[in-house]
Amino acid sequence: MKRRDFIKYGMGGLATLVVGTKMPWLMDNPAYAAVQTQNLNFTITDAVKEMVTHEPGNNQATCYFWIYRSNSPAFPPDCPGPQIYTTVGDTINISITNELDEDHALFIPGMYNSGPIAPGATVTGTFRPNRAGSYLYYDNLNTPVNRVMGLHGALIVMPANLHGTRAGGSHRLTPYDRPTPAVQQLFDDFGRAPWWPGLAWEQGDPAANPPTPPFRQYVWLNHQASPVLFNEVGNAAPGTGARIPANFMDGFISDPFIATSNDPRLLLTVPAVPLNDTFNRLPHFFTICGQSGHFSHNHPAITPMNRVGEPCVVHVLNAGLWTHSMHLHANHFYITCVNGRVQSNLLWVDTFTSKPMDIYDMVIPYMRPPDIPNVRGIGRADAGLPAGLGTTWPPQQEFDVHQPKVGTTKISFLNPGTLIDIAQRQSPLVYPMHDHSEASQTAQGGNYNCGLIAGMTIIGDRNTPGWREFPRDADFDMMLTLGNGAPVTKPGGGTDP
Amino acid sequence: MALPNSNIIIPRRSIAGMEGMWAKMWDPPTESNPITPERLNPTNPVPDFVGTLIGRPPATPNTLDLELLDGLTLPAWDGVNIDFMTFGNKDIPLASGGTFPGTTIRVPRGVIFHATTKGKGPPPHTIHWHGMEPTPMNDGVGHTSMEIGDYTYQWQPNFIGSYFYHCHRNTVQHFEMGLYGFLIIEPPDAYTPGGGNNPGGYPRRTAANTSAFPQFPGFQAGEISPADPHAYTIPYDYEALWVCDDVDSFWHNVVGQEAKAFYPSILTRPGVDDQFFHGHFHDFNADYWYITGVSVDGGYQGSTGTIPPNVVVPMDLNSGVTGMQVSINAQTGKTILVRCLCASYNSMRVTFPVDVVIIAWDGRALGVPPFGRYSRAYKVPAGTSIRMSVARRFDALIRSTTSVNDFATVEFINTRGENVPGREQIVKTALIPIVIN
Repeated sequence: MKRRDFIKYGMGGLATLVVGTKMPWLMDNPAYAAVQTQNLNFTITDAVKEMVTHEPGNNQATCYFWIYRSNSPAFPPDCPGPQIYTTVGDTINISITNELDEDHALFIPGMYNSGPIAPGATVTGTFRPNRAGSYLYYDNLNTPVNRVMGLHGALIVMPANLHGTRAGGSHRLTPYDRPTPAVQQLFDDFGRAPWWPGLAWEQGDPAANPPTPPFRQYVWLNHQASPVLFNEVGNAAPGTGARIPANFMDGFISDPFIATSNDPRLLLTVPAVPLNDTFNRLPHFFTICGQSGHFSHNHPAITPMNRVGEPCVVHVLNAGLWTHSMHLHANHFYITCVNGRVQSNLLWVDTFTSKPMDIYDMVIPYMRPPDIPNVRGIGRADAGLPAGLGTTWPPQQEFDVHQPKVGTTKISFLNPGTLIDIAQRQSPLVYPMHDHSEASQTAQGGNYNCGLIAGMTIIGDRNTPGWREFPRDADFDMMLTLGNGAPVTKPGGGTDP
Repeated sequence: MALPNSNIIIPRRSIAGMEGMWAKMWDPPTESNPITPERLNPTNPVPDFVGTLIGRPPATPNTLDLELLDGLTLPAWDGVNIDFMTFGNKDIPLASGGTFPGTTIRVPRGVIFHATTKGKGPPPHTIHWHGMEPTPMNDGVGHTSMEIGDYTYQWQPNFIGSYFYHCHRNTVQHFEMGLYGFLIIEPPDAYTPGGGNNPGGYPRRTAANTSAFPQFPGFQAGEISPADPHAYTIPYDYEALWVCDDVDSFWHNVVGQEAKAFYPSILTRPGVDDQFFHGHFHDFNADYWYITGVSVDGGYQGSTGTIPPNVVVPMDLNSGVTGMQVSINAQTGKTILVRCLCASYNSMRVTFPVDVVIIAWDGRALGVPPFGRYSRAYKVPAGTSIRMSVARRFDALIRSTTSVNDFATVEFINTRGENVPGREQIVKTALIPIVIN
């Protein structure tokens, strides 16, 4: 691995494989650690992952997983497996080695099935995706144990015409081979219709800072992790105990309640809640693309960070056994594809349901948040109303507010002798996307704000002259370009080792 | 139990250089009465309209006055007391001590909306106006702006439809505890008498494109603009509000006593000595269910209960509008609008005994140009279920020429195991009377 690549992964670029036809719009984007290849070369193995909260002392914020690891290119191991982008008609060679102690597989519905791979064995094969869309690749053996233990990842198949052969005359490109009239109309209208000023989905802008890639798209792969149960699976012999699907699901879905609490304040309540640091087998980490809280909300390959007038697509998948109700702030989004069916009636919603194994696509128009006061008040890209020395859009007074305030200092993470200011400017405009159920907004059953959460950030407005880029402080800039920092957070929380 | 042997460790990613972003999500900043940026003069006529009706003008003209929070203990159907956190509406005597749910807030499209919030009891809180899309400080999300006791929220509703508001503390924890209410955006002239408007009652109008469903009279097309307030709206004669909620009594009655249970905090060195408590907020087990504040009787998990007939929301709690129903009691040949919110962490399946036409989801009317040109209103036949999950809303129209004496069925579904073969679990069924004569 080149050192430059190593830095990209270290900074947390999202491990991405581009199989077959090159996709410069993805590979040139620093948020992704994208590598182009013709071959998938995976090992099925296990790993222990440090989760979002980090624990002092004996780190309890770890979780055991089974994972697909990419050997070549050699990506750092993670759960889920690398996200894979490929193109209809490309040939993909695949080689999978099973390093675990029972049969495993790799299965892509309608596309590829490795069949059982015995411990120590390697299976090779070839497949050609013939339909654009979002897929979950996963281990379909011992359902749902192997999949939920972490053997899954997202596969996005792009239509062949994205690479030059334009089918429909003046029609714009969409993520689908056969878009419905409604989907085609939506993508045709972006950047052309007066109510969608800005870029089409297929258009980028190399002059912007950072450059706007064309075909902006993101994967939100939802998952739930139970350290207690996954531990039991890891320690069980094949075919026994928690590896039996019925036992696994009993634990994951309906394990009896335990009043877990190590919060000393609860001893003072009436009635007092006795301290009990034991967890049940329900999941208590909730992830999007393997990350939670800050690590997904402030990640430019998970959370879209675009300008008004730069529509994007998000592929939402759920590899687990719990439903999530995914609510986006700042923009309603169009549902364009649900479980392989390109939609003919595009609901424009602020919340949508991600049930276990559901796969849907949402299109975020990236319009100005419509309920910011404006001239006509009918949701169009009107000018703001006079306020102070400017107008309500862009909100320049709000841009200059800091929360926390300037002068709020803490000790630097890297340098214990240095104080840093943790003030955060209210520019760019940051909005969350979160499951609307508290149960997934926690980590380890505690809260704020380590759960299943991402967002959308508005870094500028290409429809208001002079405001293509909103003001950004240095740390936001660094995060946006993944351009600084140490690769790994050490030491863990609590006292230094 | 020992961790299984694995030679692979996946380390947590670095927060170096991003300490401020990390700290803001971990432990959001608390502000005392920050100034509303880009502040405008409020023009919302509704608080003053309500003030005239109840003989008590609002403390601040054109401004709602909400209190965060009022504790409220309400007996459930079985007599067990359940503790709630609720919004108080200080200008309305009936709501000044809090209500569950909070008062239904109606706002005409296009006005400048202000709500002042006063902190009471343990902060911090926020108000998120779900479905409204304002600037981050007015979006009421602690980790993207600030947590407050006092603040004046400002926005201008641009789309007619059904929304709600709730405290966004720890995203949605206080929402579960009862800190929420319904929010309706109405046509710009809804509170202007004349022109067929009835500010204090019915008929009223809402956004729709029912051109494919001529059985609903009075639909107007046109060009959406301030000059044409009824463009793409339809009148309705009756309105029913179904806010479907579930409650975990352990969360409410035990944890609710310590409002800051399990809250983490930033100490001296972000990422190194953060304070974090274990808890059980990953484990939600509903044992009580509510339809618009009415406790659903009939038992606990797995049971069926029935909402009584003739439940009507007082006008004091409905922005001065008299006659909004929960259980439906209507005349044949009239248009009924049902606004349904899944406010429960459980998912839901709603089944009507009559054909309905879905005209909107999440405050966005289907088929209304220009943004709705990619969609259309659609019929859901009697007996066909509408599935939804927490925070989703639909608006449905009913018009029956024959008598109906039946129930709508709301089935609450555990989100754990939903769609998993053999594991999907209906935890409660609520029957809502629909009587049309």
